[in-house]
Amino acid sequence: MVKLIGALMILFSASMVGWQISSYYANRPVQLRSLLLALQMLETEIVYGLTPLARAFVKVGRRISPVIGKLFLLAAELLREEQAQSAEEALRLAMERHWPQTALGKQEKDVLTSLGLVLGSSDREDQQKHLRLAVTHLRGLLEEARAEQMKYEKMYKSLGFLGGLLIVILMF
Amino acid sequence: MKEIMAILPATIRNILSALPAKVVEHLEEIRLRQNQPMEIRYGQQSSYVTPTGQLTSNVRQGWVFTAEQVVKLVNQLSQHSLYALEEELKRGYITVVGGHRVGIAGKVVLEHGEVKGIRDLTSFNIRIAREKKGVAQAVMPFLFENGTLLNTLVISPPQCGKTTLLRDIARTISYGSEWSSSRKVGIVDERSELAGCLQGVPQRDVGPRTDVLDACPKAVGMMMLIRSMSPDVLIVDEVGRPEDGDAVWEAIHAGVAVICSAHGADVGEVAQRPMLGKLVRHGAFSRYIVLSRARGVGTVQAVYDKSLNPLAKEQAVWSS
Repeated sequence: MVKLIGALMILFSASMVGWQISSYYANRPVQLRSLLLALQMLETEIVYGLTPLARAFVKVGRRISPVIGKLFLLAAELLREEQAQSAEEALRLAMERHWPQTALGKQEKDVLTSLGLVLGSSDREDQQKHLRLAVTHLRGLLEEARAEQMKYEKMYKSLGFLGGLLIVILMF
Repeated sequence: MKEIMAILPATIRNILSALPAKVVEHLEEIRLRQNQPMEIRYGQQSSYVTPTGQLTSNVRQGWVFTAEQVVKLVNQLSQHSLYALEEELKRGYITVVGGHRVGIAGKVVLEHGEVKGIRDLTSFNIRIAREKKGVAQAVMPFLFENGTLLNTLVISPPQCGKTTLLRDIARTISYGSEWSSSRKVGIVDERSELAGCLQGVPQRDVGPRTDVLDACPKAVGMMMLIRSMSPDVLIVDEVGRPEDGDAVWEAIHAGVAVICSAHGADVGEVAQRPMLGKLVRHGAFSRYIVLSRARGVGTVQAVYDKSLNPLAKEQAVWSS
């Protein structure tokens, strides 16, 4: 009886691990898409609305999914409270704090970091160019993330369950 | 002063807050140039400031405004959004909360031969705006005849309080005074000096019945205001271009009183200028107020009537 409970527990936890890993592959494209959307909204705010950066961050941050929105809200707060001396610093600090909560990887971080370097520090045309460039980069990453999702999402789910099953069989 | 402090980086803020209170009280300008010591102007004097907030005339002891500080100041001024300041950079100055002005210089970028903006900002002149309420009291009695407001030209050399006087006249007319009930005032503020607008909202008190067309060319703006806001009085600063003259002429014949200002030392001098001279000869203005610095900024040197006869103060007071 005890053995049976133990076996069930192993099976359960192994499946959970598999599910966890697969959810990373499932979430990444979703979050990437909202990040893309965010940058496009930011472009509108900057190029057509001439909204100051902190306010633009807040506006964008409130309108997209909370996981990504938090990133912009955090950066806006840092700018407002003068904890960050520049847009680049604000974005960097916000990413440092919030990145682990997202399903996004290093490549996305690099895109945002390089965008942060120019954000707010040039005229409209230049801002638009850089924002579009970042969007193009992220689109490429989104394609990649989708391909990976197709490949690995189901695989890790079944791998977790089957791995658990293997351990249980070996134990018996 | 609080508003000025808010736009400065912490380092400069600390130095300035260590200045003697008497200096701060009379502070007029803070001049910052990249790699040069910070200069402040107060009263009629100017001085460098040491890193500990002492005044000094020695260039070497002054606190130096470094490239790093430039970046910080620009960030603060633009709220990290240089793109939002395109128009301001084209004009060469930024208006901040409180109506203070920051003049800027640096490398100018051209497009089709026109100034597109300034890149690599290196020189900043932070001009602290001070309102002097009540300066119009001395001239108000001259502006009316039998209860109607007269077309008036304020003549003054630069820095004699012409803009300050115009603003106070606008405010006094807008609020109403012992000489007249309150009236609708329209201000065309091409250089954002009269009302010091920030995002369209006047930062100076120009009265409750005043409409301001901010940053609009005077000639166009005067016509726009007449058509859209039906003002009783139009107030404009520094008329001088030929098209301004036409606009003033039109406004006067549209039944709107016009109060404007021009650079010059005396009526005679102004009458020599092509556009203004024509207005003077045709009797467009019924009152000329000449300012000077003879007894401090804003001294009313003389007041003339339509045919350029000087008016004694008593006489004017009685006749109104």
